[in-house]
Amino acid sequence: MAGTVIAAGLSIEGEVTSQEEVVVLGTVRGTLTSQDAVSVGQGGVVEADIKAASLSCAGHVTGNVTAAERVDIQAGGRLIGDVKASRLTIADGASFKGNVDMDV
Amino acid sequence: MAEGSVIGQSTVVRGNVRGEGSLEIFGRVDGDVSVTGDVTLGENASVRGDVNGARLTIGGTVTGDLRGTEAVVLERTAQVTGDIIAPRLGIEEGALVRGGIRMDAPTGSGRAQSDRRPAPRAEAPRPAARPAAPPPSAPAQKKQPPAPVVPAFRGLTAKKKKVRGR
Repeated sequence: MAGTVIAAGLSIEGEVTSQEEVVVLGTVRGTLTSQDAVSVGQGGVVEADIKAASLSCAGHVTGNVTAAERVDIQAGGRLIGDVKASRLTIADGASFKGNVDMDV
Repeated sequence: MAEGSVIGQSTVVRGNVRGEGSLEIFGRVDGDVSVTGDVTLGENASVRGDVNGARLTIGGTVTGDLRGTEAVVLERTAQVTGDIIAPRLGIEEGALVRGGIRMDAPTGSGRAQSDRRPAPRAEAPRPAARPAAPPPSAPAQKKQPPAPVVPAFRGLTAKKKKVRGR
């Protein structure tokens, strides 16, 4: 299977740990940790600190993000929290509130 | 992918999982699982907590109760420690179960079977009770009128007077 998918309508409250890709279209509250990419799709809600190889955000994320590679906030996406990643892109139409640490 | 949720092989969830739609679990969940749709638990998957869903297909390990509003199916690789509650149950040879099994339809499931069963039980006692009560009262009323009331009272009063007099 293609990793973990939390579909729209499903909500997880607690700790999610994975070594594979995690796609969130529903809701996650707590912490979200993955060795691979995390993508929060349109309509997805994450109220959790995220640690991942990379994060692609088209939904709503509230929490601190630590990515080994990169963080992409896509158009329509919203990220509230501090970002620690060596690469960060914020698309036109995205909203972001927080501090950025690019490990300079 | 968009329809149902999947908890992958290397994914561990510590906490409760609930919501709408179906769920496939190939990893581990330490907490309760409650969804409106079907739940599929893969061969190497495990859940430590109760599992609630419409149709549960279990191929892995569950430590907790299984409640299926439609059915529970245990595959040959299943290991269940806990109670199973479902209107329909299937257990393949090789599956391990330690716990109780209840196969009455769960209340409030909204399924046709659960709606049908309580209805006849509630209606059946009422018709039986109603005819039983009226028959004794009806013949009693019929017997009294033929006997003339007035002479009977005269007889009684006359006898009483005689007894008192003696």
